[in-house]
Amino acid sequence: MTLSKDVYQSFEDIVGSNNISDDPALLDSYRYHLAHTAIHLGPYYRVYTPRGAAVLLPGSVEEVQAIVRLCNKHKLRVKPSSTFWSAWGYPLEDNTIQLDMRRMDRILEIDEKNMYAVVEPHVIGAILQAEAMKVGLNTHIHGPGSSCSCLASATALAGFGPDSMYMGQHSENLLGAEWVMPDGEILRVGAAGSGLDWYTCDGPGPSLKGLVRGGQGTFGGLGVFTKCALKLYPWPGPANFPVEGKPPAYKVKLPDNIRGYTLAFSTWKGWADCCYMIWEAGIGYVAHRQYSMFGRDLKGAMVKILSDHTKTLSDIEEMLKDPEIQEFTKEMHRDFQIVVAGMTPRDIEWQDKVLDKILEATGGWKVKGMLESDLYNWSLLYMLRLGHKNLNLVYAGGYDGCFGIGGTPDFGTSAPNEGEPERVEQATEFKKEWEKKGNIVAAGGDGMMGGIGGFGGGGHAMWENFTHFDPHDKESTEGTLEFFGATSEFGKQKGWGPGMEKMNDYARWTDGRTTPKEIREKLLSGGGVAFRYQRKFKEAFDPNSLGDGYYRTLD
Amino acid sequence: MALEDYKADMERCSQCSYCKWIPLDQVKSWRFAKGCPSIAYSNFLSYSARGRFAVALSLLNKQSTYTDRVVDVIYKCTTCGSCDVSDKICRYNLEPLEMIQELKIRAVEDGQVLPQHTAVIEHLKKENNMMMAPAAERGDWAKGLDVKNITEKSTEVVFHAGCRFSYDKDLQEKTRTAVTLLKNAGVDIGIMGKEESCCGGRAYDMGYKDDFVKAAEKTTTAWKAAGVKTVVTSCADCFHAFSRLYPPLGENFEVLHTVQYLDRLIKEGKIKFSKTVPMRITYHDPCHLGRRGEPYVPWDGKEKKIMNQIVVYEPTKPRYNGAWGVYDPPRDILKSIPGVELVEMERIKEYAWCCGSGGGSREAYPDFSNWTATERIEEAKATGAEALVSACGWCERNFLDAISTAGEKMQVLDITDLVKQAI
Amino acid sequence: MAVKEELAKIVSSGNIYDTPETLEAFSRDLSFVKPIKPRFVVKPVSTEEVQSLVNWANQTQTPLVPVSSGPPRFRGDTIPSVPGAVVVDLSGMKKILRIDVRNKVAMIEPGVTYTELQPELAKEGLRLITPLVPRASKSVVASLLEREPTTAPRFQWASLDPLRCTEIIWGDGQKLVTGDAAMFSSFEEAWKRKQAPASPTGPGQADFYRFVSGAQGSMGIVTWASVKCDVLPSAHKLLFVPAEKLDDLLGFTYQVLRYRFADELLILNKFELASILGGGTDNIRALMQELPPYVVLVGIVGRTMLPEERVEYQEKDIRDIAQRFGLQLVPAVPGTSGIGVLKTLLSTSKEPYWRLAYKGGYQDIFFLTTLDKTPDFLRTMNSVAEANGYPTSDIGVYVQPLHQGSSCHCEFLLPYDNENPKEAAKMKQLYTAASKELLKQGAFYSRPYGIWANMAFNRDAQTTNTLRKLKGIFDPNNVMNPGKLCF
Repeated sequence: MTLSKDVYQSFEDIVGSNNISDDPALLDSYRYHLAHTAIHLGPYYRVYTPRGAAVLLPGSVEEVQAIVRLCNKHKLRVKPSSTFWSAWGYPLEDNTIQLDMRRMDRILEIDEKNMYAVVEPHVIGAILQAEAMKVGLNTHIHGPGSSCSCLASATALAGFGPDSMYMGQHSENLLGAEWVMPDGEILRVGAAGSGLDWYTCDGPGPSLKGLVRGGQGTFGGLGVFTKCALKLYPWPGPANFPVEGKPPAYKVKLPDNIRGYTLAFSTWKGWADCCYMIWEAGIGYVAHRQYSMFGRDLKGAMVKILSDHTKTLSDIEEMLKDPEIQEFTKEMHRDFQIVVAGMTPRDIEWQDKVLDKILEATGGWKVKGMLESDLYNWSLLYMLRLGHKNLNLVYAGGYDGCFGIGGTPDFGTSAPNEGEPERVEQATEFKKEWEKKGNIVAAGGDGMMGGIGGFGGGGHAMWENFTHFDPHDKESTEGTLEFFGATSEFGKQKGWGPGMEKMNDYARWTDGRTTPKEIREKLLSGGGVAFRYQRKFKEAFDPNSLGDGYYRTLD
Repeated sequence: MALEDYKADMERCSQCSYCKWIPLDQVKSWRFAKGCPSIAYSNFLSYSARGRFAVALSLLNKQSTYTDRVVDVIYKCTTCGSCDVSDKICRYNLEPLEMIQELKIRAVEDGQVLPQHTAVIEHLKKENNMMMAPAAERGDWAKGLDVKNITEKSTEVVFHAGCRFSYDKDLQEKTRTAVTLLKNAGVDIGIMGKEESCCGGRAYDMGYKDDFVKAAEKTTTAWKAAGVKTVVTSCADCFHAFSRLYPPLGENFEVLHTVQYLDRLIKEGKIKFSKTVPMRITYHDPCHLGRRGEPYVPWDGKEKKIMNQIVVYEPTKPRYNGAWGVYDPPRDILKSIPGVELVEMERIKEYAWCCGSGGGSREAYPDFSNWTATERIEEAKATGAEALVSACGWCERNFLDAISTAGEKMQVLDITDLVKQAI
Repeated sequence: MAVKEELAKIVSSGNIYDTPETLEAFSRDLSFVKPIKPRFVVKPVSTEEVQSLVNWANQTQTPLVPVSSGPPRFRGDTIPSVPGAVVVDLSGMKKILRIDVRNKVAMIEPGVTYTELQPELAKEGLRLITPLVPRASKSVVASLLEREPTTAPRFQWASLDPLRCTEIIWGDGQKLVTGDAAMFSSFEEAWKRKQAPASPTGPGQADFYRFVSGAQGSMGIVTWASVKCDVLPSAHKLLFVPAEKLDDLLGFTYQVLRYRFADELLILNKFELASILGGGTDNIRALMQELPPYVVLVGIVGRTMLPEERVEYQEKDIRDIAQRFGLQLVPAVPGTSGIGVLKTLLSTSKEPYWRLAYKGGYQDIFFLTTLDKTPDFLRTMNSVAEANGYPTSDIGVYVQPLHQGSSCHCEFLLPYDNENPKEAAKMKQLYTAASKELLKQGAFYSRPYGIWANMAFNRDAQTTNTLRKLKGIFDPNNVMNPGKLCF
């Protein structure tokens, strides 16, 4: 539906003529191809999200409020997004006003003493980190990487990442939020609502942070967040990364109090034990099973390629024949990456000593190949800046994660019944069989990437099995979809709980639009009480239903 | 290749946004994190590489047609290649810059042209230059210069002045300086004077492929006739045209930018410095010398898949990702000049911010072009430098104009200026 | 049917109390909140009983006032605000449901106190970080729900840490498990899968447990909670950084927080420190003569891995930090030693509760702010005290960094003889005046008890509106402790 001239004019009066468009081709650049990343519902070949009614670029909370009020008046849906990297940020229905939050990109404050920052929606992780580093601080960067909006991660999405063990996940880090609610009122959560600084999200009374987000945020389906305050963390390194090297193989040499390792273990139990022990000891700054996303069989070759600017994917086959790389790859079967950062020389020495003791106790070791200087420096920069997360899609442009076995480290690394392989190995074998069909990259079954920690202080591990395919290739895309269907069935049979491969199909269906009610209700029935309460939140705060089905509700 | 040949890329675009920023590893501040001037200025997603992939696909799929907005999206791009570098941090099978160029070429073929561009191209056809100036005056910069003309005497090394350096009165002296430096260092060099014609590179970047080819033919015919083997130029646009756009046409000359030649001569001891130039300067990497100035590697192959679905090429495709651009020679020159203190901006080398003049932007979108240049001036000022030094006439002109508009005081110099001062 | 008979169908009749003494005990506490007698006090023993009570309350429009901790109580939140209420005394729900050593979480019912929990955790090599010397009858769940500050800020990644999962009976009678425990089909199955109730977020897109935090029982009743534990230290040292003024300690404290060193980290003035060391009024007075005016208490712990080395290196590094700020890190101060204070910090309060020890009664004013602002608030508190004829030397000062340093609990302890009507009247005046002045200065009454409720909510209309809507959702019949907060 095209907006009427009058309605268009009303919006233009708010944001100015340069900041609104309903040009069809421009609107098509605000559609998401559903054969892509982290949509966890497809992939669907050549299916796109609906075309918006118009795109607006608001520049202030006042403009956002005016827009939302106008949407209420005309019963138009509204869908904000900051960086537009994921189907969550796109409309479910026609007749939706899309808000591109790009112009609201300021870091409003970094309170160095009390270690928090106040940011607008389009501040991405890399930028906040760079500015924080200047004053000896750092920000949590969530899993999809530093190209993503800090505010979106904290208010709208999930917010876990490789550094969560030390720097929390964004649900914990959110100290305040400014929220244009769907009814057009502005809520400032926490102390900021009382006209004070942004140091706490709690109070007065019950904490309204609980309404902003839970395990996940609102996915842009309930109002528009225009500011938030995020806790920052100490950074005992230089004021900026002294990056060397040629693209893409950037590397950094950091002072000796910041060290990065790939740890490997001879058993999965040892792997899990190590997680518990590093949490208990309180060591480590970043910890993640990162490079496994390339696949168990390919990760050795891939890290070599990525850290060498003369190499490309064409070198993979040759490299896989190299006995040294084969050995290196095999060594990293059960691995994860860790960065330890000491605030003082004594601190780093103690941490590294403890790490060695833990490795001794758990049958683990520091992978020698990753200590070689180029790889070491490449990996250190990678893990700290997390600026290469588009590598999720390196092979052919399509990736999604399945299984998503999550919970305690013991859950994924243990066998459900005696005599069986561990869950991660079962998931590996299952995927390997499907790799044989040719539709997904033959990566060795185990493409399981995930955080060591999950949230501050540790407690969870995550096993998102990366699956790579070609979104331009119908067979590949549809074959991947079939695989994900089979994965869901496999998980159900095994009683492992829902996998993440289809976790958004309650919101968006195979045609790219809102999931039909009866299907949605079936899919959400497991969360009955919670989603019924969310229905009531929606009725209370979104009386004209401006938000979309990504906000889970049950009647 | 045609625009349709990039449909795979359009569908394989990850929609990750990296194309808008400099490589994320290199981000040092909020102020200077952006890489793509087009989206930084215009804000809508369509103005990024990711956006242009989507717009192109929409047009190809006939979901939309050319509108003023679409034309604006297509042409408001300096073809600086920043998106290409950033995309290729993570992707080995995506060519956003090539696609953008094909999109422009298609728009021109479809008659979707800008009057400002049309005027320039019409002039190019008639007068062999992009400066709306008479062909007859092209050689005026060399009046009184003791240098042979290759149309009269065969010479292996030709100095190609380029349109901007030939006609721009503020820059002509730098052209003379370059030739003089090379000649005095013993290089047997010639020029074409008023017989020189445009390299065609800017026409290509505007989408006028046929006019580029014609200009290239004209130029290379003259060179061949003169026995030229090596081409030297101070203009980054020309450097890029000769080294990257000409070889696919079957033309293979040794191509050097002046800075490469000077660097060589300095290292060989054929240029010696006897004076001090006490100056704090910063260096701007021209896009067409830097990330777009990588050596051409011939390739004629096709896509294939390995490990089921990994997209690679047979034979292995050369990867243009900015790693091999000309970054060190200019810096080596500057560091070797006594007294010069080189302070780097935050965005340099393959992730340098564009000057704003390329891709037809200066001609058709002066506000955008000026804004882009002003951003760079701000970045230069942030280093505390007295002068912004570069190695391209188009960059230097755009900076001069921006400084003048803003009433700034920063000097704009060519590398050859400093070399001359130090000799 | 008589109410008592109805209640007897829900809880056992032995768990229904309506003697005058009992009703009197629950009608008042040591706050200035107006006493109102409940009609009954009931003591459920299970989630099912609690849920049935709430359903009954909805059917009969009977206000319920949940209470978990034993007396004495201080905040006014457990006193009915309306007549005819039934107090739901959860202190009988005392099960420690599970201690998961591997994942370091314990699941407990609301009646479990710190006194009861710590020894059981210790048997398993664990401990829970506590508030500042809690009273013996203090319910762990209540303390955490009410966001009482704990003494080791480095363990607070989430502002509600160490509280993790909960089971809530909402005011409308529905039961909801929060956190990752919501995903468990059953506990048995979860334990078999080696899962643990460790993550507090969700379920879904709301952090439901936050709605019962700071809620003074006005949204629902928590029937069990999981708490994140620490390893029981195998080495533990308590050190002091003394100073003349609070201002002098801020730089040091910020730096220790920045490095995430130290476990216990808090600032007390001499009165507060003397009070927690206790020993009666005379002993407190004697200690006051010796103790430094202000002191940072720095606890350093060694756990399983290289414990002595951890204590040793952190002590050295923290000493270096102290020196940078012209301060000293010492094992003892005149009047006490690290060993003595540590023993106190790791215990619950002896009787009488330490805050009551000096004069028999007290009021306290506390709020959230940032550490750097605390000296200014102290100056205001002192100034109002002087204006009201209250000796500033009697004011206890407790500054507790929270959430790894991003915020700070600032607390002023005002002891007085609550049996003396004149003193009580003066204290009420001082309490009110100081609360107002501190509010004006920027104190954030995140836990708005009594008179603070209006002060806090009047300053934030949209939060008030939003909370009222939530109240309308979770407790449509307003049976849960009506009259509290902004409801």
